[in-house]
Amino acid sequence: MIWVKLTFGGFGHRLVEAFAAAIVLAATSATVAASLMVVEGARKTLVRVIHQDRPDVVEVKSRFNRALFETPRSGNLPPLTIPVYEPLIDPAQLEAAAGDNQVVKRQSLFRNVVSGDSFLNIYIFGIDVDIERGLSSFSLARGRFLRREDRAVAVLDQASARALDVDVGGTLPVRKADGTDLQLTVAGILDRLELRGAPPRTAETPSLRPDSTFVSSGAFVNLQTSEEIFGRESLTDALVVARNASETLALVAKLQEAFRLEPGIFVTERYSQYQRKVRDFVLTLALFSALSIATAVLAGSFASNLLHDIYVERRRQYATLIALGFPPGIGVAPAIIFGLVLGLAAVAIGGLATHAFVPRTFAMPSLMADLGPTEPTIDWLVVCSLAAISIAALSVGLASTIIRLLREPVAASLSEAGP
Amino acid sequence: MTQAFVSVRSISKTYRSNRATVGALREVSLEIEKGEFVRLSGPSGSGKTTLLNLVAALDRPDQGEIFVAGIDVGRLSGSRASKYRAEQVGMVFQSYNLIPQLTALENVLLPMIALGRTNRSRARELLDLVGLADRSNHNPSQLSGGEQQRVAIARALANDPALVLADEPTGNLDEQSAERVMGLLTNAVRERGRTLLLATHERETAQTADKRLELRSGVATPVREMSSSGYLRSSRSTLIHSNNRGDYIESSTS
Repeated sequence: MIWVKLTFGGFGHRLVEAFAAAIVLAATSATVAASLMVVEGARKTLVRVIHQDRPDVVEVKSRFNRALFETPRSGNLPPLTIPVYEPLIDPAQLEAAAGDNQVVKRQSLFRNVVSGDSFLNIYIFGIDVDIERGLSSFSLARGRFLRREDRAVAVLDQASARALDVDVGGTLPVRKADGTDLQLTVAGILDRLELRGAPPRTAETPSLRPDSTFVSSGAFVNLQTSEEIFGRESLTDALVVARNASETLALVAKLQEAFRLEPGIFVTERYSQYQRKVRDFVLTLALFSALSIATAVLAGSFASNLLHDIYVERRRQYATLIALGFPPGIGVAPAIIFGLVLGLAAVAIGGLATHAFVPRTFAMPSLMADLGPTEPTIDWLVVCSLAAISIAALSVGLASTIIRLLREPVAASLSEAGP
Repeated sequence: MTQAFVSVRSISKTYRSNRATVGALREVSLEIEKGEFVRLSGPSGSGKTTLLNLVAALDRPDQGEIFVAGIDVGRLSGSRASKYRAEQVGMVFQSYNLIPQLTALENVLLPMIALGRTNRSRARELLDLVGLADRSNHNPSQLSGGEQQRVAIARALANDPALVLADEPTGNLDEQSAERVMGLLTNAVRERGRTLLLATHERETAQTADKRLELRSGVATPVREMSSSGYLRSSRSTLIHSNNRGDYIESSTS
């Protein structure tokens, strides 16, 4: 009880100043918290962009329909004529242009697959099994994933498997380029997949998400099997991963130079957009950091000044405790605890108020045109920043008292005017 | 040769403020035996408070040594100095220095808390000793100046210290209160056989002192006064003379 009184009691009219300091600190915390939450939201958006868009990945795609494909009659179903992509990308030319950057080869085959009484328009993707898993994600529900040495083996997403009424160990026929059917054995069923980089969009893919660069349905075979179906090694699309993100634009230039005579091949990159997003983030960071710093300095110095007045008035009290035999650290403990309680309470109030009232999404179109809306986020970084600002303000306010009591003779404070 | 309970040896202390240097004490020496009551007089600014602060280890001398109960007070670290003050020293200040938000009882308890030996019944006994048993739950603002100083005396005796340092304890009191406070202080200290070093600028107070010393411009001299036989003599003193320049009177014993 004595310590509670020593710490929080006897402020008199100074209690009003302490209350004012707490309000100033709370308002400072709220402003700084809102700014930091926007910055943190923008940072997370940028991290998500890096993770999802992979600005270091260059997409090489061929777009033209060069052939029609007729499905075989199956039961009561008539033959269908559907467009297919003629693969245009020469893998040797691509590898030569890519240099020592990683090339992820693909063949995307749009097929009408007939199985029993069912049929389905489905993408069949020929993928380089080992390399593709580094960029795309495949989660197995049943069975196993593809292996490099597999032949005539496929894995399907669950929706496609249901539509074709096949399960692990079942088979489905796919018409090859030479007109014969290849029986694909289902090795596994995928419950979730994200194939980075959508295939060419001449035909709609059933489960392609709007605005997504991921394909989330289809049948996957390894590249050797798809080459057997296509009857050729050329690729419909490919990804080239730059060794270093900063070299992406140079890589794009080399690829565009290599395929400049191929009007059906397009080289696209996301690095430029990423750079604009980074610029947006830096501007957001600079603006809101400046706002935070200005608020913290102005309001923090005001609060610390109020606290300074309070501490100076109680300096003789702390000196008396030291003179009575309390160690200097204990003698000034009431001052430190009072400041910490005041500051942290103000930070908590300011932080909670911000959390309650800050908008769920925030965007400044003039500032964040490419970065887009962000979700203001409170996390440990924000909380620790607020606590640091509060403690800094308290330390500045307390500094002269602490220095006086710990560095200069206590006797000097004992004779000061005060309560 | 045995060392005195308080032994101050050629201490000097100067303070620097801005560009000015003020000499507070110049090669002051004195010895006080255990149980003695020493009155230190002198005008304001003569160095009385500085000397008391040095003996209390609230400050360090620029040169010289201070021993109290064999402890080299001038060389104590911060934590040891705190322990020394809590165990060995009781302090009474001119402006009382009571903690305003604590009751009289809680103020008396503070030195005990510093030592980790809170004893409420002893604190009440001490308040009773100074005649304030019925005011134990009053805050300092509800007490008169004399009552506040009596609480301060009770607080100084809380840990039963061997040495009590009183810095002009009656300086802020009227004559009646001053007499009562002085009587209480000297009686309480004498009854317990404790040592009292009392600083005052009033020559007429503390006439019962065993030893008297006057500080002028930072230099200590023993006080000479008229004895009952009419001869001029120095008070009973073991004062060690000081000052190499010879402008300092030699020590003498009654």
